[in-house]
Amino acid sequence: MLLATARFQELKTRFHAVAAAPRAGREALFPTAIGPIDVLLGGGLPCGSLVTLEGHGSAGCRSIAAALLAQATRRGLGAVIDSGELYPPALEAAGVRLDRLLIVPAHTPSGAARAVDVLLRSRTARVVVMAAAMLRSAVWVRLANLAHKAGALLVVLVSRAAAELSAVATVRLACCLERPVVHGTRGIWAVFSGFELRAELRKHKRAAGGACVSVLSSVHG
Amino acid sequence: MIACVRISDDTIPSHALWPEILDALDAVTPLIEDARPGLAFLEMHGVAGDLKTWSTQIRALLAPFALRAIIAAGPNRFCALAATWIDDGACIEPGTQAAQLSCLELDVLELDPDIIERLHLLGIMTLGALAALPHGPFVRRFGREAARWHDAARGIDRAPFIPRGHAIAIEASMYGEGSAESEAAVVFALRVLIARICADLERCGKRASALQVEVELDNAETARFDVQLAAATSQERAMLDVLRAKLEERTFAAPLVGLRVRALGLEEGGEPVPLLCGDEIDRASVAVALARLEALLGEPVRRAKTRDAHPLEERFAYEPFALPKRDPAGAPAAPVRLVPQLRLLAVTEVDVRLRRGEPAAVGDRAVRSCAGPWRIEDGWFTAPHVMRDEYDVMLDDGEICRIYRQGERWYVRGSYD
Repeated sequence: MLLATARFQELKTRFHAVAAAPRAGREALFPTAIGPIDVLLGGGLPCGSLVTLEGHGSAGCRSIAAALLAQATRRGLGAVIDSGELYPPALEAAGVRLDRLLIVPAHTPSGAARAVDVLLRSRTARVVVMAAAMLRSAVWVRLANLAHKAGALLVVLVSRAAAELSAVATVRLACCLERPVVHGTRGIWAVFSGFELRAELRKHKRAAGGACVSVLSSVHG
Repeated sequence: MIACVRISDDTIPSHALWPEILDALDAVTPLIEDARPGLAFLEMHGVAGDLKTWSTQIRALLAPFALRAIIAAGPNRFCALAATWIDDGACIEPGTQAAQLSCLELDVLELDPDIIERLHLLGIMTLGALAALPHGPFVRRFGREAARWHDAARGIDRAPFIPRGHAIAIEASMYGEGSAESEAAVVFALRVLIARICADLERCGKRASALQVEVELDNAETARFDVQLAAATSQERAMLDVLRAKLEERTFAAPLVGLRVRALGLEEGGEPVPLLCGDEIDRASVAVALARLEALLGEPVRRAKTRDAHPLEERFAYEPFALPKRDPAGAPAAPVRLVPQLRLLAVTEVDVRLRRGEPAAVGDRAVRSCAGPWRIEDGWFTAPHVMRDEYDVMLDDGEICRIYRQGERWYVRGSYD
């Protein structure tokens, strides 16, 4: 029985290897499934990289992170380091499969870093989202290396990446609010239904920075 | 012939004690059906003796438990059970079922009281009266399940006899072979024990879904903990990885002098390995990661579930993460959408200035646009009663916030991102 199981596993591994192999001459990309942003990134975010989503206040960083988690939980698992700010109904509306989302409660910067370390080393989650914490440069380097080895995407939400974080980030995407979308006239007849956000590519290891796109984030999708 | 052992209602054993009683009855016959605590059927075909002999033997086995048992026999399970209602030691012989059951009341059928009342209203008081009814019209009137009642009233029981499975204890232990003071020594000992357990599991064709580890320390203390595996397995590597992760961050007050590992939650058969499934989750490594994270953080990794509720904070709940079921290949996926994410903030009171009844400034930030109020009222029948008016406001620094007024005070609940 053991021999049969081993052969079966080998066959399955070969199937997956063929399916997951990047096309010749092209780097494996993780599409965000948001058309304009994928165009901006040249098809998606490079797998196995540390990505920063930067922006103040209602910039839309979490909307993009939710889309990445939705994409990750389609076939695998996603993970988010939570300090109590998560609102799961909004994640579900973005298409995240909550039964495949690991919510890791970490309340200290070192706890968050160690949790990300375990997640990346175990290669369980395809996308790990964390808020930026005050971590030493060496820690960011280690996490970026682990993400690279695991082929996972480590998404860091930050208002503006500090030097040590921006140095290790493969992609830096800055977001800002362009305008809110309010349906209705005013007061009780008005409904906040989303916002238009502008995404600017600040850094990309394989593309020129500075390109911008505008996308609409809407509660109705 | 099937013997029925029915424990009198005033001495029904507990769920914990009942398996021990059944184990004791194994001495009479290996084929025992566990109907429920207090009721068991014993298959006596091929067992020497008659009901009187069996009854004496059963009573001797039950004596240590101090139970009052009624023992009877019949050609099938229902007849054996009904015989316990006739008398202790009663035996319904094959071919005489209908006649011997006819005088019994309908309670023997263990029906819903409403149904018994309906039958009583129709003048059907005994199994004999029920058996006398024509089968077809009776079943049409009372539904498909009534066919079973009608058969039972005539002494027919078509349900198969299902013998209980026998519990197998698979465990390995190591005592009195020196002491372990380092993690490496403990892991080595665990590896040896788990290898033995896995060999036993393979031999029995079983998989374990959990492990129980008992540790005996040099200072005579013992510690016991359970380790849940992601999926039932008989693979040494999968078990050891989860166990090691569970042991990380755990310290013992003294060197270890004894270890016992027991396989729990035994399941039949091999491990299902789908070739063409729709997900890419490596269950074994997820289980190890979950155990490591729990050891690291001191609390389990969670997953969220949404639910219907009015207040924002009631619309979801957390539970420990459990691996989802495998998706079949080609299962449709939900579309990915860019949706504003509400970021829940710690509820803080703020100063809000109003203009014409609407928020005009939140703290020192002016409101550029405002939507609301939406009244949220909850807890009418349960304290505390919540009533608040919620607003979405866009502030002059570009932040969109969810604020609410409760009574005369204003609070910030979250911001959209």
